[in-house]
Amino acid sequence: MIKLILKKLSIIFIAISFTVISSVASAEITITWPSIWVGKDSKTTVIGELIDEFNAANAGSIKVVVEEQTDYDIYAQKLTAQIATGDLPDIMTVGAQLLDVLHRSGKAMDLAPHINSDPHWNNVYPENALQSAMTDGVLSALPYELFVTPVTYNKKILKEAGYDEFPDNYDDFFKMCEAVTANGKVCTSQMTGKNGWTSMLWYSQALASAGGPDIYEKGLDHPAYVKAFEVMEKMYQYTTSDAIGADAGVSGGHFLNERTAVFMNGPWFIARYTSDGIPGLHENIGVAAAPMLMGGEGSPGGYVGGRQSSLAAGKQSDPAKEEAIVKFLKWLTIPENVARLSYSSGAMFIVNADLPNDMDRLFIEMKQGISDAPYVAPIFQNGIGSLAVASEFPQALSALALGDVTPEGAVEMLQDAE
Amino acid sequence: MKIKKDEVGWLLLFIAPTLILFTLFFILPILFLLASSFTNWDGIDAEFVGFENYIKLFNKKSFVRAITNNLYWCITAALITVPLGLIIALLLSHRSRGWKVFRTVLFVPQVVSSAAIAMLWAAVFNAEYGLLNFILDNIGLSDYKNHNWLGNVRTANAALIGFSLCYVGYFMVIMLAKTASISEDYYDAAKIDGASQIQKDFYITAPLIKSTFFLCIILAVIFNLRQFEYVYLMTAGGPANKTQVLVVYIWNELTVQRLGRGSAAGVIMIALGAMLLLLLRRLLKSETYN
Repeated sequence: MIKLILKKLSIIFIAISFTVISSVASAEITITWPSIWVGKDSKTTVIGELIDEFNAANAGSIKVVVEEQTDYDIYAQKLTAQIATGDLPDIMTVGAQLLDVLHRSGKAMDLAPHINSDPHWNNVYPENALQSAMTDGVLSALPYELFVTPVTYNKKILKEAGYDEFPDNYDDFFKMCEAVTANGKVCTSQMTGKNGWTSMLWYSQALASAGGPDIYEKGLDHPAYVKAFEVMEKMYQYTTSDAIGADAGVSGGHFLNERTAVFMNGPWFIARYTSDGIPGLHENIGVAAAPMLMGGEGSPGGYVGGRQSSLAAGKQSDPAKEEAIVKFLKWLTIPENVARLSYSSGAMFIVNADLPNDMDRLFIEMKQGISDAPYVAPIFQNGIGSLAVASEFPQALSALALGDVTPEGAVEMLQDAE
Repeated sequence: MKIKKDEVGWLLLFIAPTLILFTLFFILPILFLLASSFTNWDGIDAEFVGFENYIKLFNKKSFVRAITNNLYWCITAALITVPLGLIIALLLSHRSRGWKVFRTVLFVPQVVSSAAIAMLWAAVFNAEYGLLNFILDNIGLSDYKNHNWLGNVRTANAALIGFSLCYVGYFMVIMLAKTASISEDYYDAAKIDGASQIQKDFYITAPLIKSTFFLCIILAVIFNLRQFEYVYLMTAGGPANKTQVLVVYIWNELTVQRLGRGSAAGVIMIALGAMLLLLLRRLLKSETYN
């Protein structure tokens, strides 16, 4: 009996010893990153490579683990809930609409002290880029990805409809849509599913064109909001039958398969014209500034865009883990790494990076567009300053498209959501 | 039954684990929900706002529509899904050739992830490449060639509620199991009296599984009151909030950081559920079969 007890005790002792030894030996810091740059996202490959390289260089001391989040909306919703509960991940990719909430929560790591202690970020960011991202001296998120959303159009479809140039005003644009439709194709890719992303970009363009780049400071009573909805109402006469309820995959899929002639999205979509588009699509794509509304307060060639994703980290109690996170964030902002990301995906970044000379033609055209643009106005989702109003937009748009409300009624729906 | 004094201690001891867990995971969250519903809590700050959240909710068309839609879901389940389950259970209770195959096929949706089913049906209803429009077009209904079932205000709710009928199998299985417990003596007696199969179904089986039928109605109402995943995944409450339901509405409030108002909507949902259950209990008072 005693022998049996001793045997069992020795087994327990050995098991405990192994556990203690292994926990002491594995002083490796694990950083979790719920990332949206996975799956079909154009940055997936290079982000994966950068993480692997970082993990290899820091083997045994730091390990970055990615939690794949393929749905951008669900990711933002999850993050919203995590901000409320205070249970933030180690690293996160934050959209512009959540920056204010993240800062107010006080649960994000303040990156400002790390800017002062190491010249890296001051060296790689343009002057004032970091300072302007601070609130009350606190940097809750590192500005990272930039975007503009010009029109991309299929030159072949437009040529078949008799157009060599993309129209610069909405009167001519809708005439062109009429011609495209008569030719058996669909003019625009639209969507009201999820956050209504691609349609929201069109609305933002029309809004800035009607009310000027500072439209969001003028309030929802400004007539530009109604005028922009009038444009959208017409736009939905020239779109696919599944646009109401469609998500970005459906909206983009139509353009990638040459079912629609005109599409609007950010530069990160450039790589997908080649990877997911039908053969030869990329060569047929043209880039143009959005059309203007006659008599509007905007200027020709005006773009919409701004800060897209920022990198943030949850507040840490362990200084070693904080250092490890900062080290990884610095790795992501090394100009060479940023250039690799930009080159492979077409995405634009705030970090000063020497881009290769053979960057994608569309990327160069978009960059040129920004340089020539009189302004880059915020998109509706970020500029309106209310998550509730931004979230009501797809419902207001679908009500408008279905003839359930007038443009004035659609604005009322937005006001009602406040 | 009268409880003796010396048994009270034991009684409390035995119910304590359940009571503690119930208080911890049901009572306290409900109290927290109630308290936060009177604030403008945004996940960060909170101030007492009285009944403002409740007033705003009832002034919102989309919230009233969410309640109405939930009632549609409940009524459809109680008046169509469960009775349909009863009819199928009665037919299968005859144990005719191949009844097990039908039972399995009808029950399959229960074992498949609801997210997968929602995505599947979203593809079936798709305007451009959906199977439904393809079939309709091929049988000569070309008007429906590009009909957007889930994106049209007239058909979105019908399409959503219509496809939920494929869940008839769940209630069918419950009622079918009950039919198996009915004594054969009743059917033998009826056979001697010359009763037909339909008469046996309607005068013996149906009355004897009445209590289970009513239980299914209560379950169906509860399930449909908390309807979320199909609406969220297939329409997200759209188009134009026409398919909005309470849980999706609450979810939307939470995602825009209006947690106080979301809590108020949650309290209303709990109250509505309690009222519906009390109403059903009154309406469905029945004798149980022994």
